Amino acid sequence: MDKIKLLLTLTTIAIVVIPIVGTLIAYQGNLLGLFIPPEVNEIADDLLSGGANGPGLEPPTMVGPPQYDEASQTVTLTFEYKNTFPFDITVNSMSGNIECDDHGFPLGDANLSKPVSIGAGETATLIVLGTWTEEAISHFQTAHAGEETADVSLVDLAVDIKGIKVQTNERIPISDVPVP
Amino acid sequence: MKTLMTKINWFGLAGGITTIVLLVASFFYPWWQLTVGDDLLKANASPVNTNFGFLDTSFTIPFIWALNVVSLLTLLLSGIAMLVYSVMPTKSFSKPLLDFGYKKPLFTFLFFVIGLVVVTVILQAVLSINVPLMGSTTSTVPIPFSSGITVSVLLSAGFLWPFWLAAVAAGLCIAARLYHKKVAVAPSATTIK
Repeated sequence: MDKIKLLLTLTTIAIVVIPIVGTLIAYQGNLLGLFIPPEVNEIADDLLSGGANGPGLEPPTMVGPPQYDEASQTVTLTFEYKNTFPFDITVNSMSGNIECDDHGFPLGDANLSKPVSIGAGETATLIVLGTWTEEAISHFQTAHAGEETADVSLVDLAVDIKGIKVQTNERIPISDVPVP
Repeated sequence: MKTLMTKINWFGLAGGITTIVLLVASFFYPWWQLTVGDDLLKANASPVNTNFGFLDTSFTIPFIWALNVVSLLTLLLSGIAMLVYSVMPTKSFSKPLLDFGYKKPLFTFLFFVIGLVVVTVILQAVLSINVPLMGSTTSTVPIPFSSGITVSVLLSAGFLWPFWLAAVAAGLCIAARLYHKKVAVAPSATTIK
C-alpha cells in the first residue's frame, strides 16, 4: 500500500514537473517567447501600424463637395476610407457632430448611411448624412445671411469597425456647405 | 448481485466517467470564452486546451500550453483512478487510488477559476482593460503614440457548459470520497450466502 502511495505521489510530481520543465528547456534561449508567441507581436504590429498597407488608424478623408437636400434638411458628405489593416473590415457605424467653423455653433449630427465592408488594403466610399436641427437653420439664416456656403467641421467622430470603436478629437473640416 | 452493487462506489464511477467525458469535451469546447469586437479576437480557455484566435490566425501561449498538458494528464489519471477505485473500492490499493483521484477535478476547477480572476485583475491593473468574467462590457484600450484617438472595444465573456460539467465532476468525486466510508465497510461476498 505504501508502494502504491509512493508511486502515485511520484506520478503526481512527474505530470506536473515534466511538461513545465520540458517547455522551459525548449524556450531557455527565449524566455519571453514562453509568454508572448510571435503571432502576438505580428497582430500588435498590424493593429497599431497597419502592416504593409499604411500608417494604421487614420480618420477618413472627405471627397467632393457636400450635397444639400432642402426637403429633408440633410447634407450628404462623401468620405474615402482606406483599410490599412491586413484583413477585411466592416465599418458598422460612423457618427459625429457638425459645428459651424466661424461660430462654433452645433448644427446637427452626422451618421453613416449604411454599413460598409472594405477588403484588406482597399479604399471604400462612405456616405455620411448630416441632419440640420431647427436651431441650425435659424443660425444659418441669421449668422450667415446672404452667404451661399459656409465652412463647418465634423467633430467627435466615432467609427465602429468590427465592434471596435475608434473615437478621435480631430476636427474634420468640411468646406463650402450650402447654406439653407 | 446485491452485494456486488453495494461494493461499487457509484459516486466514484459517475465522477470518473464525468471526468473522462469532461476531458474529451474540453478539447473541443472551452470552459470560458472571451470575444473582442465582432469576433475580431477570441480567447478560448480551459485547463486542457487554451487558445486564442485573431480572425483566421489561431495561436497558443507556450507556458499556458505546458499548464494545459499538466491538467490534461492530471484529469486523465484522476478519471482512470476513480474508475478503477469505484469498481473495486474494498481492495487494498483502492484507498490510495481514491485519495489520488478525488481531489484533482476540484483542484483543476479551482485553479482555473483563480487563474481567470488573477488574469483579469492583472489586465485591469497593468493595462486598465476591464475584462468581464461573465457578460459584456465596453473597455477603453490604451493606444501608445496616438494622441487624440480613443479606442474602445466591446468585450463579451461567459462560461460554457464544460465549466459546469467540471463542477459536477468535482462534486461527484468529493461525494465519492464521502460515500467511501459506507462502501469500505460493506460486507464481503463470502460472508453473505
